[in-house]
Amino acid sequence: MTEERRRSIPTTIFVLIALVFLFLPLVIVVLFSFQSTGSVVFPFHGFSLRWYKTVFESEEFLEAVATSLKIAAIASLLTVVFGTAASYGISRSRFKLRWLVALLMVIPLSLPGLFIGASLLSFFDQTGVQLSTTTVLAGHLVYLLPFYIIIVRAAFDRADPLLEEAGADLGASPWRVFTRVLLPRVWPVIAGTACLMFALSLDEFVITFFVIGDEPTLPLFIWSRLRETVDPSINVISTLLLLTTLALGVVALLIGMRSARRRNPAIEGGPFADE
Amino acid sequence: MLLASPAMLFVFVVFVIPFFTFAVYSVLTSELFSIGPPVTLDSYRHAIESDSVRTLAYNAGLIGAIVAFVTVAAALPIAYWLRFCAGRWRLPVLFLITSTVIASYLVRIYAWRSVLGTHGLANSALESLGLIDHPLNFLLFNRFAVGIALVHIFLPYVVLLLYASFGPMPSALLECAQDLGAGAFRRWTRVIIPLMAPPLLSSWMLVFVLSAGDYVTPQLLGGTTGVMIGVEVQNQFKSVGDYASGAAISFLMLGAFALTYALLRLTMHFAKVPQRIEWSS
Repeated sequence: MTEERRRSIPTTIFVLIALVFLFLPLVIVVLFSFQSTGSVVFPFHGFSLRWYKTVFESEEFLEAVATSLKIAAIASLLTVVFGTAASYGISRSRFKLRWLVALLMVIPLSLPGLFIGASLLSFFDQTGVQLSTTTVLAGHLVYLLPFYIIIVRAAFDRADPLLEEAGADLGASPWRVFTRVLLPRVWPVIAGTACLMFALSLDEFVITFFVIGDEPTLPLFIWSRLRETVDPSINVISTLLLLTTLALGVVALLIGMRSARRRNPAIEGGPFADE
Repeated sequence: MLLASPAMLFVFVVFVIPFFTFAVYSVLTSELFSIGPPVTLDSYRHAIESDSVRTLAYNAGLIGAIVAFVTVAAALPIAYWLRFCAGRWRLPVLFLITSTVIASYLVRIYAWRSVLGTHGLANSALESLGLIDHPLNFLLFNRFAVGIALVHIFLPYVVLLLYASFGPMPSALLECAQDLGAGAFRRWTRVIIPLMAPPLLSSWMLVFVLSAGDYVTPQLLGGTTGVMIGVEVQNQFKSVGDYASGAAISFLMLGAFALTYALLRLTMHFAKVPQRIEWSS
């Protein structure tokens, strides 16, 4: 059924204002990363890449980038491996305590990161674990795994199990059924969500702050710089982090839309279409 | 189900057990970055009696409640527009809004410094328009700055949540109301808002908890008047080293959140708001 498009000029104006509200602060951060003087406020003195040069020559910055990339890569890889197994297990089982598992997955996501960070710090303190990049990795996984499982499990739930039964009846091993029957239908969701996980790990601050050792991640590096001075180098680092997270988000979104369209060519609007 | 066990085991070891450790810490006695017996409720008593904790909790509650209200109120017309008015603009606008969800959290907070600062965008714009002679100094480092940054962070999430809830609402419903003589105002107050009440209230609760529990925004933008309780927890854990106090304050916060949730559910019960509305086609 096609619906007639409603018209409302005040709402349209409001949406435009909201878009400006959402994007303007970000545009300003990016703009001042090109500032030629040492200030991050108006007036804008014209385009210069000098702060980019300063940032890329900084050892500390490069080390923070390396630490962040390392953690994000390992965290998203582990999340994909264990998260996919868990999603498959939860989706295809008739286990009675499924609700408990589901609850366990939702709680870490609806609590402010403050509580997760502080619990982890208490735990590491009690067990005598030295704070390091490994503890940061653990902190990221607590937050990424539930997130991943919620999205990917829904994709498994949408895929008809009848096809897997058919595969099994035809003599395929469980592993073959998984890789040949199920995976081809859900891989775009897995790939898109993996990008999202990488971005979330790269940007994580709230939990990381509690469990960080002596090697700062990129957001922690921005934080410590913010407390010392404010010059356009912070805007440069912010711009890089912002654009990386945005790019990963867009990639995830595009993969998701493509897969939704392929699943049902009638869907015009991709994953968010309403009918 | 066996496949799920490694992930479950991990979440159990790195979330459930730490959370209990955290709870136990709140009733122990703390000394500079170390903790041990005897078991006591002193940390709770100190936290409740402390004036500064009360002020910070009040700030968090106030900012959280207002931020949640403003976010939900602003997200509703946007979600409505996306669902009923957007036409071929739906996908691009949805794309833009979704992409800001993932945009760096820390950077978005920092961005407001350049907007609200003494020589920031807001002041420069007002000055060049001739509306003010001197920069306004009261824009940054207070509750207002914290609030606006938190709205900026949570708005895209709530737009997506409400848009998903608008999905099954038939447009015919609004046409019927219109044909029966309801103007725009009455369509909003008598049809849209009552039908959207469950997701509106649950979004409010979510934003309230997440913003009242934030400790980064108040530290970067709050100055001295906009500090919130989360900052105190972070200080106790990372600077003061009084783990017991930090944990006790955290559990008082969790208690306050649970109480707010219970009150909300009670209100919904007495106002006869259903937990969710089932749409049949």
